[in-house]
Amino acid sequence: MSALSLLAPQCVLAAGVLCALGLGLFRRPSAVAVRVVALAVPLAALLVLRYAAPAELPPLLVVDVKSLFWQLAIILGALPLAYMASGDDVETALFLGSVLGMSLLTVAGNLPMLFVALEFMSLPAYLLVARAGEGDGAKRLEAAVKYFFAGALSGALFLLGMALYYAQTRSLGPTTLPLGPQGQAGVALMAAAALFKIGAVPLHWWLPDVYEAASPEVSGFLSTAMKSAAVLFLMRITALAPDPVFAAVLPGIGALTALVGAFLALRQERLQRLLAYSSLAHAGLLILGVGAWLALGRDAAAAASLVFYLAVYALLSNGAFLFIRASGVTTLRELRGYAARRPALAAAFAVLLFSLAGVPPNGGFVAKLLIFWQAVRASLAVPVVLAAASALVSLAYYLGMIRAMYFEDASGAAPAEGPSRAGLAVLICALGALILGAAPLLLNGFTAGVWK
Amino acid sequence: MSPLTVLWVLPLVGAAACLVAGRFGREAAKICALVFGAAFFGAALTITILTGGAGSVSAAGAPLAFGVSYLLSADGLSLSLILLTAFLNLICVAASWKQDASAGYWAAFLALASALTGVFLARDLFLFYIFWEATLIPMFFIIGLWGSDNRRHAAVKFFLFTFAGSVLMLLALIALVVAKHSQTGVWTWDLAALKEAPVGAAGPWIFLGLLLGFGVKIPVVPLHTWLPDAHTEAPAAGSVMLAGVMLKMGLYGLIRVALPLFPAYAASWAPWLAGLAALNAVYGALCAMAQTDLKRLIAYSSIAHLGFCLLGVVSGAPQGVAGGALQMINHGITTGALFLLVGFLYERAHKRGLSDFGALAGRAPRMAFFFGFSILASIGLPGLNGFVGEFMCLSGIAHSPIPLLNLPVFAVAGAVGVTLAAAYALPAYQAVFWAPEGPDSVSSHVPDLDLREKSILWTLCALMLWIGLSPASWIALIEPSVRGIYR
Repeated sequence: MSALSLLAPQCVLAAGVLCALGLGLFRRPSAVAVRVVALAVPLAALLVLRYAAPAELPPLLVVDVKSLFWQLAIILGALPLAYMASGDDVETALFLGSVLGMSLLTVAGNLPMLFVALEFMSLPAYLLVARAGEGDGAKRLEAAVKYFFAGALSGALFLLGMALYYAQTRSLGPTTLPLGPQGQAGVALMAAAALFKIGAVPLHWWLPDVYEAASPEVSGFLSTAMKSAAVLFLMRITALAPDPVFAAVLPGIGALTALVGAFLALRQERLQRLLAYSSLAHAGLLILGVGAWLALGRDAAAAASLVFYLAVYALLSNGAFLFIRASGVTTLRELRGYAARRPALAAAFAVLLFSLAGVPPNGGFVAKLLIFWQAVRASLAVPVVLAAASALVSLAYYLGMIRAMYFEDASGAAPAEGPSRAGLAVLICALGALILGAAPLLLNGFTAGVWK
Repeated sequence: MSPLTVLWVLPLVGAAACLVAGRFGREAAKICALVFGAAFFGAALTITILTGGAGSVSAAGAPLAFGVSYLLSADGLSLSLILLTAFLNLICVAASWKQDASAGYWAAFLALASALTGVFLARDLFLFYIFWEATLIPMFFIIGLWGSDNRRHAAVKFFLFTFAGSVLMLLALIALVVAKHSQTGVWTWDLAALKEAPVGAAGPWIFLGLLLGFGVKIPVVPLHTWLPDAHTEAPAAGSVMLAGVMLKMGLYGLIRVALPLFPAYAASWAPWLAGLAALNAVYGALCAMAQTDLKRLIAYSSIAHLGFCLLGVVSGAPQGVAGGALQMINHGITTGALFLLVGFLYERAHKRGLSDFGALAGRAPRMAFFFGFSILASIGLPGLNGFVGEFMCLSGIAHSPIPLLNLPVFAVAGAVGVTLAAAYALPAYQAVFWAPEGPDSVSSHVPDLDLREKSILWTLCALMLWIGLSPASWIALIEPSVRGIYR
C-alpha cells in the first residue's frame, strides 16, 4: 500500500478543515455533519489500515501500525465534541485543525515536524477555549489567555531544548551518540515542554482554571484527545535520551501528580473543577506509565497499556464532562437527589464514576490494572504504592458524587437541562466503558503482533 | 454452558429481571426476586447433591489475553459457601417481604449473590479479583439507600476501607504474576499454576499484601473499624448478607489463595496470625460487652467469632481449617438469625437499645424463644452448631503441626473468648427479654412474630440444631476439599 494511503486519516481531516471554512458560503451550513464525517472516515480508515504494511516518508513522516493505534485513541477522544458542539463553521475548522495536528504528531518523524504538529494542535485549542460555549465569555477569555501563555512557554522550552540537542548531536531525530550535558539539558527542556502540555505537577497551574472555564465539551476534548497527544509527545521526547535519568524521574513526577490531583479534587464543590483535578490524577498515572515504559527499555506492552488507558479514558472523561452539559448540574449541591430526577442518566454517570475510580468490572479498572502491571514489571514499587494511594483518595470523591446523586435528597430547584443528545452521548460512553472492560481480553486478534 | 457458569449468571439475570419487573410495580419485582432466589438456591443444592462435594466440577475456557483464563471450579468448600449464600439470600428476600422496597433493592441482593458466588467459584485470580470487587457495589447501595440514620457515612466508609484492602491485594496479585513470569516466562493468573513456581525476594511483601487485603474483610483487629458502622447502619437483610457471607470472603481468600500459595510464610507467620486471631476473639468480645445498641453488640460479636475461625484456619491442621470453614457457615446462620431478630424488633419499635426494652418475654414469647435459641447457639452451647465449630478450631490449634502454635496460650485465649461470649450475650438477652421494664420501655409496642417470621426463624434454628447434632455430613462436605488444598 502506498505511503499516501496510509496518510488517509490526515488527508480526510485536512479536507474537513477546508470544507468547514467553505461552509460559510452556503446558506444553511451543517458543520456537525462535516465534523462527524471528517472523524468517522479516519476512524473507519484506521480499522482497515491496521492490516496494512507500514511506510515511511523520511525524514518527515513515519506511519506504522503503532501510530494508527494512537490515532484511534485521539479520535475516540475527539468524537463527543464532534457530535456535541454548536454548528459554527469557524469552531468546526478550529476543532478539526486541532485533531489534524494531533494526528500529525503521531506520525511526525523528526523534531521540527513534531514542533509543527504541536503548534498545529495547540493554537486552535486556545481559540476553542475562548470561543466555544455560551454564558460568561470574559471568564473563558481569561482562561484562554492563561492557556495560551502556558502553551507559548511550553513551545519556547521545546525550541530551546531542540536547539541545545541539535547543537550537540547535529541530529533532528534519534541519535546513536552518547548525550553530553548539553544534549541532556536539551532533552530535559523538551520533556518539560511535554509535561507542561500534560499538566504534570508542578507545571499544572493553568489546567484547573482552563478546564473549569471552558465549555464542558471542550474540557472533555482537552482532557482526552489533547492528553493522548501530549503523552505520545512525552514518549517521543524521552525516547531520544537512552540514559536512565528519565526512567528514574518520571515515575516520581507521575506519583506526585496523581497524589496532588486526587487530594485537591477532594475539596472541590464545582463539578467541572473537580473533574479537572481528577483528570490531573489520571495524568499522573499516565506519566507513571511512561516512566515504566522507559524503565522497561521502551517496552511494547507498556506502550500498548498506555494507548488502552487513553482510549478508555477518552470515553470516561468525555462522558463525565458531557454529563455536566446534559444535566445542567454544575455543583455537588445541585447533584443531590439527581438519581430520583433522571434515573437513567444518573446510572450512566455512576457507571462512569465507578469506572474512573477503577472499580471493576469495567474498562477503567482494566486500564488502571495494566498501568500498575507495567509499573510492577519495571520494579517501581514506591511510585506504584503512591499511585494506589491516589486511586484510593480519588475513590473518595467519586463516591462522594454517587452519594450525592443517590443517597441525598434534592435541595432547591432542578437546574435547566441540556440537549437530550448530550444525555445519549453520556449513555453511549458509559456503555462503551463497560464493553471496554472485556475488550482487551477479547480483542486479542486485533492487537496481536502490533506491540511485539 | 457449564453448570457453574449458570450458577453465577442465574442471580445476575435475576437482578436484571427484577429491574425490568420493577416497571410493572414493586410487587412484581419482589416476586421476581423470590423466584430467582429460589431457583438459585435450587441450582446450588442440585449441584451439591449431584457431586456430593466429593468430586469437583469445573469450567474452563480458552486462555484470553494477559494470561487470564475463565477458570471455575467447585469443591466442597466452595459449594458449602455458595449454599450459604443462596440460602441466606432467600432468607433475606423472605425477611424483607413486608418492606415496600423499590426494584433496585431486590436487584442489589441478587447481584450481590451473583458476585459472591463468583468469588467462591473462581480459580483464576483475575476473575477472583473482579468478583471480589463486584460485591462492593451492590452492598454500597444496600447500605446507603436502605440503611438507617447514619447510612450515607457508613456506606462510603465501608467502600473506602474495603477498597483500600483490595487495592493492596491487587498490587500483591500483580507482583505475584510478574514474579512468576520472571521465573517461568509464562503469564498466568491460574491459581493452580501459580502454586508451582517459586516467587523470590518479593515473597514476603506479596504475602503481606494478600494478608492485608483479606484481613480488612475478615476483619482482623486493628483493621476492623468499618465493620460496626456498616453492620449497624445496613438494613437487617443487608447485615445478614454482610455478616453472613461477605466477612467469610476474607477467610475464604486465606484458605484458598494466601496460605496455599505461601505455605512457608503461612507456617512461619502463623504465631503472629494466631496472636491476632486470639486478640480478635478477646477484643471483639470486650467491645461487645460495652455496647448499649443491640445491633452494634451483634456486630462486635462477629469480630470475636471471626477471630475463632481465623484461629482454626491458621492452625494448619486439617481439622482446624475445616473447623474454621464450618464455623464460617455456623456464624452465617446464627448471626443471620440474630440480625433478623433485631431487625424485626426494630421494625416494630424503631428502637434497638438495650435499655429501650424489658420484660419482652412476656409480650413476645416466640421472639424470646428464637432469640434465646440463637444466642445459645452463638455462644457455643453443646448440641448446637457453634459448639462444633469452636471445638474443631480449638482442637486444630492444639494439634497444630506448626511449632509454637500448640502452646497453651492460644487455646487459653480462645477459652477466654468463649467465656466472654457468654458474658456479653446473656446479659443483653436478659436486659431485653427478662429484666423489669424501665420507665422508657417500648416493649408494649412489640407484637409477637407472625407466621412468615416464625417460619424463617424455624428454618434457621433447625439448621443450627442439625449442624449441632449431626455435623458429620457438613464436615464430610468441607474436609476433603480442605485436605485437597493443603495436600
